[in-house]
Amino acid sequence: MSVRGAWQLKKLVVSYCNWGGSSRGIRAFMESQLPDFIEKNPQLEVVTELNRGYHPLLKGFYKNKNERVVCVKNMTPEDVLQCATRLRNSQGRKVLKLKTRHVTKHPSVQGTWTTDLKITN
Amino acid sequence: MANRRCFQTLTRCLQSIKTLTPLSEAIAPYSAYALNQTIAATPPNYIFVNNADIYQRAAVPTRSFSSRPTDSDDVEEDDEEDYESEEEDDSENEEESVVLSAEDKKIEAAEIGYTVMGPLQKSDRVFKLYEPVFAVVQIGSHQFKVSNGDTIYTERLKHCDVNDKLVLNKVLMLGSQTQTIIGRPILPDAAVHAVVEEHALDAKVIIFKKKRRKNYRRTKGHRQELTKLRITDIQGIEKPENTTPPPPSPKKEKEKKPEKKVAMEA
Repeated sequence: MSVRGAWQLKKLVVSYCNWGGSSRGIRAFMESQLPDFIEKNPQLEVVTELNRGYHPLLKGFYKNKNERVVCVKNMTPEDVLQCATRLRNSQGRKVLKLKTRHVTKHPSVQGTWTTDLKITN
Repeated sequence: MANRRCFQTLTRCLQSIKTLTPLSEAIAPYSAYALNQTIAATPPNYIFVNNADIYQRAAVPTRSFSSRPTDSDDVEEDDEEDYESEEEDDSENEEESVVLSAEDKKIEAAEIGYTVMGPLQKSDRVFKLYEPVFAVVQIGSHQFKVSNGDTIYTERLKHCDVNDKLVLNKVLMLGSQTQTIIGRPILPDAAVHAVVEEHALDAKVIIFKKKRRKNYRRTKGHRQELTKLRITDIQGIEKPENTTPPPPSPKKEKEKKPEKKVAMEA
């Protein structure tokens, strides 16, 4: 995600357990796909953290000081990559229902229509 | 009966081994040897009909292979599917469903959604101040009245990554403070530049179905995949060169110049 060219995801923390079975996918992800992910995203700071006895997590830290934590327990490496890509593709904003699909600060160029408006060629 | 079933499966296995990719041909002789050993031990009353043609159609539909090795170029699009055997002549269908599209096909698919991939940003000064120009642009089946600096949420656009520049081809109308250009139905020379800001999921919508007094209740969650585009530039119309745009007055006369553009592409 980037606002006007500035990437919003600053840091990605990959926390895993080297004993637990729920971390198998993320361990395989770290061996196979994580180096490619890091190469494709040089602006991102990726940290791997060993957290024994807990399920594996992906934590994303955004510029608006928002943290998104995704539990990736029992997921395949491909799913973990998809989760990581989603974190990287998104802004840190809260997931709310969209009010409008078109957000603008200048809604009118030629003047807002009123009933008094008369169009003359 | 169990013996008969075993031999039927054995023949099917032999069939499958013969038709697998060359990697497994090395294994084939060994398994064939094992098969021959078991065949040698058949009871005399079992009529062993090892006719390749007979078992071909019977064996083929039950098999399902894992995904073929796909090209490294197309990471985004590839869905790993189960392909049927090579003996069946579905090569044409396979090519369409495999989505191993070359760059040409990618561009075609992008054009269906009326977007064109541009190069990634490399410290371009793309984000300008607001200009009092608007355009009506169509993406997929949705139309938006768009100006410089606006944000648009569309359905997920494939083939484009975050921080990519897009050119939206299908422009239906352009307008400024003094001029309006209406396309019939599109304006061929107009272009709207946009930058992909985000690929994200919408908030979860719960789809709840209930039929009363019928013991029927279903709950389903759905998150729509959206793309956020920021419009950077509108081309195809003369822009006023004032630093401060004049305040819009409702009784201003507008010159309408409907240019007769024959619809080249339906």
